[in-house]
Amino acid sequence: MEGIVLALFICLVLALVTKYLSVPAIPFYILAGVILGKAGLGLVASDEISHFFSEMGLIFLLFFMGLGLKIDRIVANRSAVLTSGAIDLNVNMIIGFVAAYLLGFPLVEALIIAAAFYISSTAMALTSLIENRKLMMREADTIIWLMVFEDLVLIIILAILSAGDQNLILFAAKILLVLGILYALAHYGKEFLISILDRDDELPIIFTFAAVLTTASFSMYLGVPATMMVIALGAAFATTDPDAFEQHARPFKDVFLVVFFVFFGVTIDLSGGADWGVIGIICILAIMSKLISGILTGIYIHDSALSGLEIWGNTIARGEFSIALAVLYGSPVVGMTIAAMVIVTSIVGSFMAKYSTSLRRGIVGFGRKSAPPRRIHTKH
Amino acid sequence: MSHMSLRSLNLPGVGTKYEFVTDKGDTVAIFFTKTGAIQMYTLQQGCNTPSAAEMTPVEARRLGNILTGAIIEADQESVEVAFSALADLRITLHTYIIPASIAGKTIENLQIRTKTGATVIAVSRHSMNIINPPPSFVFETGDAALVIGETDQLKNLEREIMVD
Repeated sequence: MEGIVLALFICLVLALVTKYLSVPAIPFYILAGVILGKAGLGLVASDEISHFFSEMGLIFLLFFMGLGLKIDRIVANRSAVLTSGAIDLNVNMIIGFVAAYLLGFPLVEALIIAAAFYISSTAMALTSLIENRKLMMREADTIIWLMVFEDLVLIIILAILSAGDQNLILFAAKILLVLGILYALAHYGKEFLISILDRDDELPIIFTFAAVLTTASFSMYLGVPATMMVIALGAAFATTDPDAFEQHARPFKDVFLVVFFVFFGVTIDLSGGADWGVIGIICILAIMSKLISGILTGIYIHDSALSGLEIWGNTIARGEFSIALAVLYGSPVVGMTIAAMVIVTSIVGSFMAKYSTSLRRGIVGFGRKSAPPRRIHTKH
Repeated sequence: MSHMSLRSLNLPGVGTKYEFVTDKGDTVAIFFTKTGAIQMYTLQQGCNTPSAAEMTPVEARRLGNILTGAIIEADQESVEVAFSALADLRITLHTYIIPASIAGKTIENLQIRTKTGATVIAVSRHSMNIINPPPSFVFETGDAALVIGETDQLKNLEREIMVD
């Protein structure tokens, strides 16, 4: 118990400092965990309480993702979202998978690394767009919808990975059944849900917490993993009043997610040996492959490779979802690789997002200066 | 006549965006972000880089008041409120800076309510607020008085009492 208090206190200080410097907090939470935990000073060890808190963090993160699902909007927005989404998915998944496989990871681990390699941090991308005052740029829309698309792909990846050795069709049928039941409950109980959410006492917040926990615990009986259950619950609740649910679930998400990040760091285990060369290559490729997908997206969507630089800058950072994949399915070695990738890409990403506009201007300026002087046409 | 088309868009995870292009071709975009901050961007026609300002909700409301013309002068503000439940009663709150001509007089002396129908509900003096000043309250030069009444009653007050 003292461990969790110490970790939380350090995270509080880190939150203050990173907010002040306007850099993302997630990599520093993980680093703090690594320093405090097994791989570092050994001051904090994970126990039942921290494990429960971390699980809550993951569950609320996924519930939030479900609340934000906008399948109807993707369909309405189709062509641009699908083009950029497909480029991003193909380029990064393939580079991530091939690299991990060639570097010696077994097939399934390579797939998990590829998924973590592909999925950018929605939280960091959106925060950087807001904090760097980039919302009006045309690339901002592309980036925002890219994040929505990535979330959808992540759900499919989670579903496939969590099916394990179950019959895939039966598993898909179960998920659809759960989704159907939750949608029906949200639909027929809409009046009731809204009447609860509208109250200004403690009821809405108790209800939200209880609904998420109950749904997660039902997973045991249905053979559908808790992750899928809470995403489905979020998606069903999104048909009522998603903003109210976000508001009531946010305190839980914010607190538990910090525990989730720091204890992910705590459990990182270096005793199995770390191949820093492999980790270094993955980190560099993680930055470069988003550059390739960013430039391709810039060319296809905005007719401009320079637009791609902007997209790159804001999507380099991997974060919460990569860690979720590591926690759920990763071996210790995979966990460490993903941890390093998240720390490196999110720090590089926050830097690039801040300076991508200047970088763009620099390239344009340099291009002008170095362009060959125009020939003056003279009569022969 | 050209008409300004205001587009509103819900951006997942970010908030709501309002955007319009002015007659002169400049673009104004406002984002109500989920963090509570409000960002306003303006992009001059022919320019590539917008300039941005981030505001708190209070600052945004103040800007809104300025843009709707509700604030006539920096130190003389007026707000009109309509109550639909009271047969569309429209009531105005207006602040006045007390001119030298009425300094030293009381609310009773000036017969504000009898002459105009408007009521002084608060006076601000040296950043202190006096709520519901009594009839014996003596005005000083530079006081800011908050007066409530209908538009006509306030016009009377401006014409008959708040004269320099």
